[in-house]
Amino acid sequence: MGGGRAGDVLERELPGTVLRRETAYGEETVWIEREQLVAACTLLRDHRDAQFRVPLFVTAVDHPDREPEQPRFDMVYMLRSLQYNDVCRLIVQVTEDDPSVPTLETVYAGMDWHEREAFDLLGIRFAGHHQLKRILLPDDWEGHPLRKDYASFGEPVAFTHNLEWALPAQERPRDMPGETR
Amino acid sequence: MTALPPPGAPPASDPVSEQYEHGRDILGVEHGLDAVDLVQLDEETMELNMGPQHPSTHGVLRLVLNLDGEVVRECRPDIGYLHTGFEKDFERHNYQQCIPYTDRMDYLAPLFNNLGFSLAVERLLGIDVPPRAQYLRVIMCELCRIASHLIWYGTSALDLGATTPFIYAWRDREKLLDINELVSGVRMHTSFIRVGGLLADVPDEFYGMVNEVVRTFPRLIDEHELLLTKNPIFRERTVGLGVISAEDAMNYGATGPMLRGSGVPYDLRKAHPYSSYDHFDFDVPIGRRGDVYDRYLVRMQEMRESVRIIEQALNNLPDGPVNTADRRVALPPRNELNTSMESLIYHFKLVTEGFRPPAGQVYEAVESPRGELGFYVVSDGSNRPYRCKVRAPAFSNLSTLPHMVRGELIADVVAVIGSIDILLGDVDR
Repeated sequence: MGGGRAGDVLERELPGTVLRRETAYGEETVWIEREQLVAACTLLRDHRDAQFRVPLFVTAVDHPDREPEQPRFDMVYMLRSLQYNDVCRLIVQVTEDDPSVPTLETVYAGMDWHEREAFDLLGIRFAGHHQLKRILLPDDWEGHPLRKDYASFGEPVAFTHNLEWALPAQERPRDMPGETR
Repeated sequence: MTALPPPGAPPASDPVSEQYEHGRDILGVEHGLDAVDLVQLDEETMELNMGPQHPSTHGVLRLVLNLDGEVVRECRPDIGYLHTGFEKDFERHNYQQCIPYTDRMDYLAPLFNNLGFSLAVERLLGIDVPPRAQYLRVIMCELCRIASHLIWYGTSALDLGATTPFIYAWRDREKLLDINELVSGVRMHTSFIRVGGLLADVPDEFYGMVNEVVRTFPRLIDEHELLLTKNPIFRERTVGLGVISAEDAMNYGATGPMLRGSGVPYDLRKAHPYSSYDHFDFDVPIGRRGDVYDRYLVRMQEMRESVRIIEQALNNLPDGPVNTADRRVALPPRNELNTSMESLIYHFKLVTEGFRPPAGQVYEAVESPRGELGFYVVSDGSNRPYRCKVRAPAFSNLSTLPHMVRGELIADVVAVIGSIDILLGDVDR
């Protein structure tokens, strides 16, 4: 898997697109420019030496602690080439202030739902998407659950050491533990 | 079907109506048109709401259909009713604790989810699994594939009005669930495949029961085929329906029997033989036309191939341990705890906080009954996955539905849904 095919083709045909390449665990990851995303994917789909014609998924990985040195979100695109029996992973980095990438639904019809899912769960905007609305969560849901700053749990449970934090003022016992002792 | 109100009538304000209003807002249906089930869009077109409690949507799938008479002009699937946020849950559990969650995504083929996740984490950890465990994983997965295909066979035939296949399919599936129960104590959510190996070695009764399956199932599958394959009514309903070309199937990211039914012989078990699938001799059945009938034939043939794989794996089952010897991952044997300080420490560390794969990212995919089931795991070096994205095959496969039913009759929509073999637990996760 991930024999470096995608990186080679991109470096040869679209110079300047590839920012970084790295191979780990036998898989290559290619970091590319956001503006070149559609061109790069079209090339990877159609080029004779690549033929990445099956879109596997797109998602994002949230690194809130990385800002401002590095952009917060890694957009991860996985494509598969049946011809060469290979996968490629493209990463586009976007910032918290402008979490948007161009849509790929014109290149791969299958990206439509995956982009809606990334919008729904991570709040990434896909510029040019024909119907960018929530797909898994209800339309009136607030927030994007797969962001790291979205707490999926943390309903306060009252213990003796945290009564002040866990309970509203009117529900706290009159003699708070620790105060009278 | 509700009658249209007189034009200009004020909307009612009871709680039920408020829910209707909300439903209309979500759908983007114009207010003043009062019917959730059937809405007249213009002279020619009606909008019909199908599901989410429709029996032939295989769970809770909702379709909004634009109809011209009986012909589907547009289909908008509405999914997410079974969304459970597993991917978020992964991020706050350590790696061993994630395994039961994977079971519950694709609940008809839980072992494939176990396997995909375990393979991904094992790649991160860089550990090898003993051959016996690999063979047992193959046997259990292929049994599970047959069980899943049997459910698909029964329910999709039931959608077309055939009741008998459904009863037979569930009768045969029982034998496979009994094996699940024998090896893991649980019939469906087995969590049998763990990171580093298996839950435990199989008991002695296992061989007899699997042999029984290998011996009887080719004949049982013949029986199933006898009911449908040459049945003129079934063929009338399915041949030439829901056609998707190989080009379109790839472009939509459809995998598994959807892709193979369109004539693309791509199977991850052959392409990237994981878990020693390269030791077994089996064929990858493909269709030609990419219609509902071809997908039916592909799945029926896949069940026979699964029986072949199980037979080979059982006959050549190696001896040995079923868990890796790597003490970073596997619990030390119980008797060592009394004599070895290091074993006790490893045991304590594993149980209390789990193992810590090095930082990195991997993508590992297995061929589930529905297609390419992938796990993209990002590790930051802690004992929990930093991010785990599940590439659900049914999600991509279902997105082809609007393409396949455009221009078909509404009665055929259920046949096409059945042929995709969706599972809403897998679609919504």
